[in-house]
Formats: sequence, C-alpha cells, structure tokens
Amino acid sequence: MPGTQSAVSLTDVSKTYYRGEPVYALDGVSLEIPRGSYTAIMGPSGTGKSTLMNLVGCLDTPTSGRVSIDGRDAGGLSDRERTRLRGSEIGFVFQTFNLMPRLTALENVRLPQLFQDVPRGERTDRARTLLERVGLADRTEHFPNELSGGQRQRVALARALVNDPAIVLADEPSGNLDTETEAEVLDLFSEFHEAGTTLVVVTHERHVAERADRIVHLLDGAIERIERLDASDSTDGDRDRSSGAAP
Amino acid sequence: MMVRESLRLSWRAITGHKLRSALTIVGIVIGIAAVITFVTLGASLQAGIIGDISPDDQRSLYGWAADPDVEGGPGAGAQPIFSDSDLAAVADLEEVDAAYGYAPVGTRSIASGDQRLPQGDGVIATGPSYVRESTLADGRQFETGAREAVLNPAAAGQFEENVSVGDELTITLLGGGQTDVEVVGITDSSEGLSPFEGFENSPRVYVPTDPFYAEQVGTEGQDTGDGGLRFAAIVIEAPSADDGAVDDARSAAEAYFESDDSDAGEFLGEDLAVSLETSTELLQQLQDVLEIFQSFIVGIAAISLVVASIGIANIMLVSVTERTREIGIMKAVGAQKRDVLGLFLLEAVVLGLIGAVLGTVLGLVVGYLGAQYIDLPVVYPLEYVVLAVAVGIVVGIGSGLYPAWRAARTDPIEALRYE
Repeated sequence: MPGTQSAVSLTDVSKTYYRGEPVYALDGVSLEIPRGSYTAIMGPSGTGKSTLMNLVGCLDTPTSGRVSIDGRDAGGLSDRERTRLRGSEIGFVFQTFNLMPRLTALENVRLPQLFQDVPRGERTDRARTLLERVGLADRTEHFPNELSGGQRQRVALARALVNDPAIVLADEPSGNLDTETEAEVLDLFSEFHEAGTTLVVVTHERHVAERADRIVHLLDGAIERIERLDASDSTDGDRDRSSGAAP
Repeated sequence: MMVRESLRLSWRAITGHKLRSALTIVGIVIGIAAVITFVTLGASLQAGIIGDISPDDQRSLYGWAADPDVEGGPGAGAQPIFSDSDLAAVADLEEVDAAYGYAPVGTRSIASGDQRLPQGDGVIATGPSYVRESTLADGRQFETGAREAVLNPAAAGQFEENVSVGDELTITLLGGGQTDVEVVGITDSSEGLSPFEGFENSPRVYVPTDPFYAEQVGTEGQDTGDGGLRFAAIVIEAPSADDGAVDDARSAAEAYFESDDSDAGEFLGEDLAVSLETSTELLQQLQDVLEIFQSFIVGIAAISLVVASIGIANIMLVSVTERTREIGIMKAVGAQKRDVLGLFLLEAVVLGLIGAVLGTVLGLVVGYLGAQYIDLPVVYPLEYVVLAVAVGIVVGIGSGLYPAWRAARTDPIEALRYE
C-alpha cells in the first residue's frame, strides 16, 4: 500500500482573481491530504472553499504555489494534460448531482471512462459493479429524471469512483437531500472511505463534516484551524498523521 | 473517445429535441431535394432526347449551308447549294459510306383507297438509308428511282383502314400533280428519325429524292441554268459510329466542298458556310440551354442550403448554451476540448447527413414522379446522390464548427455554475 505520498498536496497556494481590483480568494494555503483520509472543509460563504475545490479538482490553476495530485504538479501541466489528470485522478460529487440528463444511470457512470479510452467491456463491468455497490443494481437503465435525489447522488458517487481516482471531491453532497436520504448517502461515503477511498467534502453542515477524520476551517482565504476528530471507526493511525501546515 | 459512443451521445442530444431537430433537418431536406429533383429531371430529359439517337444515327452527319451568323436549330437559314453530283462525289469518298439529300416535299393531300387526307408537310424526300433498317418494323427501305414510300406508324394509322406494306397511296403534290406510291416499309416509331425533322411524333412519309424531289423542283429533263437539282440539307454517313471515322468523314466532305470540283463550293464564302454535325453535336446545343436552366435552379437550391446551414448553426448555438452545464460535467469528468468539439460537430454533421439522405430520397421520388408525368425515361444522377451526401456533411461541419468551438472552450468552472 502506498502511504508515503499524499493524494493531494497544496504548498503555499494563492489564487487571485482580477475583477476590477484583485480579489485574494486563497492566500498562502498549504494542506496535505493523505491517501485514504476523509477531510471536511468548512467555512463561511466567500471564504475560498470553491476556489480550493477547483484547484484540488484540477479545474483551475493557482496564481502562485504548488498543487500536486498523486505526486504530479498540476500547475506545470498543459490544459490537455490537466484534463486528463482530472479525468483519471479526481472524482466529483456535486450538490446538484450534475448527471447527464439524457444518459441512463449506467451510461452516466461510464461517462468518465469514455474520455479515458477505457475499452468497452471493462467499462460496463466496472460501472455495473459500482452501481451494485451503491445499491442501484436494479436502476442501471433508468434516466436521472426517473431516480430520486438520493439515487441520483449515489449514481454520481459511482461515477466519481469509476476511474478509480486518487481522490473524490464532494461539494455539499447532501445539500439537496432530506435528512434520511442524507444519512444514507453519507453512510455510503463512510463505507467507501473505509474501503480506502480518499474523500474531501465541502460542507456548511457540522454534522456532515463530523463524519470526516478532520475538519479544515477556512476563513478569508486562509486555513483558520484544523480540527481533528477522533473518529471511532478510524483505527488506522497512519491516517491521522496528516499534517496540515497552517500559516 | 470512441466514435460509437460519440454517435450515441449525439443521437441522444438530437432525439432529445425531436421537433427542433426535425425542423432544422427540414431546411436541408428541401434544399437537397430541390437539387436532386431538378438534376433527375434534367438527366431524364437529356436521356429522353439522346435515347432517340440510335447507335446507327451516331455515324450520320447532318449538313447544311447557311450564313454563319444565323442562329437556330439544325438547318436554320439553309440555302439549296448541294447538287446531285456533289452528293455522288461525296458518297464516292473513301471515308464516306453514303451521302444523300434531305428535302421536304410540298404536298396537298395523301389518299389511301377512297379516303383522302389533307397533308401539307411530313413527306420527306431523302436517300434510302435515311430510314435505317434497324428502325423498320415491317417491310424494307425504299429504292432510289422507284415510286416507293416508307411510312411511320402515325402516317400509316391515320387512315380508317391502317395502311400496311404493299398498299398504294396517292400523293397530290403542291403543284397539283398526282403520283402513286407503293408502301414498302413501316417504321417502328413515330418520332423523327433525325434532328432535321425534330423529335416529336407526327405522321411522316419517306420517299426517294429521285424521282420525288426532282419532280417537285422541276429540273427533270431541263437545264435551269443553275446547275440542276440542288439540296439545302444533306446527310453524310460515315462507315461506323466511331468518333475517328465520323471525324474523317467530316473532314473529307469539308475538303471536297471547299475544292473546285464541288458545285456547292462556288457559293461558299463569308456569307455561307457548311455545317456538318452529328445528332449528338446538335443536341449538345439543346443540352447547353438545358444546363443553363438547370444550373439556375440548382443555384436557387444552393441558396436554400445556405439558409438551411444557417439554421443548423443557429440551433447548435442555442443547443450549446442550453447544454452549458452538460459541457461542464463532461469537462469535469475528463472530456478534452477535442472530445466536446467532436461531439457537437458530430451532432451537426448527423443533422446535415439525415437532411441530405432524406432530401435525396425525396428528390429522387419527386424526380421520378415528374419524369413519369412528362413521359421521360427516368435516369437517376447517382453522382449527385453522392454529392448530396457530401454536401450534407459539409453543411453540417460548416454550420457546426463555430458552435462546437464555442462549446469546446467553455470554462468548466463557469459551466458547472451555470443555471
């Protein structure tokens, strides 16, 4: 098991937008996200959570500093290479599910594989297996509008995992779900975490964040503090070795 | 990304908006169908005319002498300058199989038995081989010097009792003289046998120039001082329909007419020139007119295609905006720019292609019905079918390129935020 390397590593990362005047969305953030860890990111609106997600998710590049995914510096990559890295190493789960409306559950799960040129047979196998694992074996041919919110989010989770990414980024994954469904989906997250998936969840909800090993509190574009949770189910000491170098 | 999956995604997008896609396609269908219809009709029309030229006719050269400035069909402005001896001399040329005159005989009526029908034209004095053996349904060619006639079915059928081989007809000439002829042959078609006659169906009686034309002109036994019998129109037959043989016959005949031996030669000069042309060449003039007309229509249809492609471009732009979020999702899960570009381009091409295929089918059907209606043999211009499909693809690419490019460069962060 590779445990020596972080899944994602941010070193003194800053992001500045120029909207008439410079806006410092992130200011010198350093953060290690070890493999197999479960990190929650909390903070008030406009504090840089989305910017952090976009940087970790290889959707954006930092103004300064270094973002490496699985040991690779994402900043030094071309747009094309970065897209490829995103496709293979990052899985996204969104608040609004973001499934392709005209694709079935199975096709949605397979979508990321298409862009990685995974052979057809393998595609279907892995996608089906994942749908079974999220409890949707009987919903593979359903379109998103034929699925409930919880089911859609489970399809999204399966899609996020289909390319076996280094990390799954979830942005308010239960924001559109009722309490019961939320618990189901979060249980599923915990289940995959236990199976070794690296998770980062951005949330406003304390009880959602508490599912994680630790909570990174962001404030005004910087890490305010990192709160460690003694997760009862986390017995692996290595996971707690995560070092969040706050300014 | 695989073609098959891309096609599936594009197809889903197209069928996701059935009415919109259908309306977009209709534009292309109309454009392509218009082109194919008119091209089919044009090709059928040409085939209908060219089909009238039998292989045997292709070795015949139709000649007349007219002012080179005179425009018109075959024989327009023709002057009677070709003498009997000219024709005999040309027929003797090594490169020439036969040469004879062609002259309408002025008549007043034709009678069969007790029935007399007024007939002012349609009696044609010419050489025996003008009525080709292959076009005879019954009987034989007439013989020079004999009072014999070959009728076409329209002429034979106009009497109460059908005229058949062996019957006698009485022809009353314009001058009032009467002459009896024996019917020796019936042709298989009422269409004209050469461009001199035109190609429409009408009653025609073919008789030998000797004695009929000679009698009409009245040169028999007397010298009129202008060298005797003269023809305005002549037919020269090459030994074969082979291009080289026909050209050789033409050059040899032209050389003869320009020589001092020729009776016709003395009249030729700036004001009068000999034209010797095959049916095909004469038809070419008609075809040229047809082609101008056809390009005009095809031009209009092409404009409608441009309009249609603007329609595709428009709908694709709407589609790109509408699916901004989907583009964001695809990019988030690893779609490259070229993947997105390819998907939208493919969608436009599929629209163009469907339009082209449907348009082609519709065009062929309408072309077929049109050709049937005006009684032409239907000829499908297959090269245009291929062209139409190619045009469909080109229209798709042309109109889809910009929208697809817009889609490809969509920023995934913005797109995912798009409501």
